[in-house]
Amino acid sequence: MAQERSFDRSLYLPEAVRAAVDAFAEHALIELSQREGAMVVVLRDAGSLDPALVLDELSNHVLFETIVRRRREDA
Amino acid sequence: MASDPSVASASRLGFTLEDSSISFDLDETVYPLDAVYGAGYLFLDRCFVFLSRPADRMVRVRLTAREAAAPALLDLLAGEFGNELLSQVTRLRLSTATARIREYYTAAALRAAATSPSIDDLLSELEAEELAEDPLEIMVPWEEKHGTESGEAASKKERG
Repeated sequence: MAQERSFDRSLYLPEAVRAAVDAFAEHALIELSQREGAMVVVLRDAGSLDPALVLDELSNHVLFETIVRRRREDA
Repeated sequence: MASDPSVASASRLGFTLEDSSISFDLDETVYPLDAVYGAGYLFLDRCFVFLSRPADRMVRVRLTAREAAAPALLDLLAGEFGNELLSQVTRLRLSTATARIREYYTAAALRAAATSPSIDDLLSELEAEELAEDPLEIMVPWEEKHGTESGEAASKKERG
């Protein structure tokens, strides 16, 4: 069963979400779409991995990428 | 920090507890987003950190433990996050308050570096100097100062 997580654009950079989805693409089947004010990640197939764990790890990666990219912009 | 009163909570801090996760809302006017990011960054290896917007100018932070965790442990996690958040806010305020003076000192240091002589300049200066006076006879070789015979005897004594 697909699980999704929504990343608010005011809190997460869209490019950070894309980067995280690309990074996790080899581990799971993930789709990325946009909703008003948010980027939505849909996890379709996590293989043998726990889907909740995959989403949690992906979310951390999105946050990491967002912070790093914002700091780079501020520097 | 605010908790959701509609959800039963066993959190000692009054936050919202769910299965191995704890959530609380932050007012962005009190805790700027950069402070939330700063604290979040430091917790990424300890737990899962997820941010959402329950309302305008509000940030909901959800911390999910990497393994099953009791309410007390989740409270501890959230409490430490709160402390770190405060530290980050203080750091941001100090940074803002001292920005101008830091810019001033940086500019002054750069100006001083631009006008100070280089090492090559200093060496050239030394070479150009004429050491006309040498009252302590530092430039005079030891053998010349003490004579050849005495110099040989002293050398033998040293080797012996």
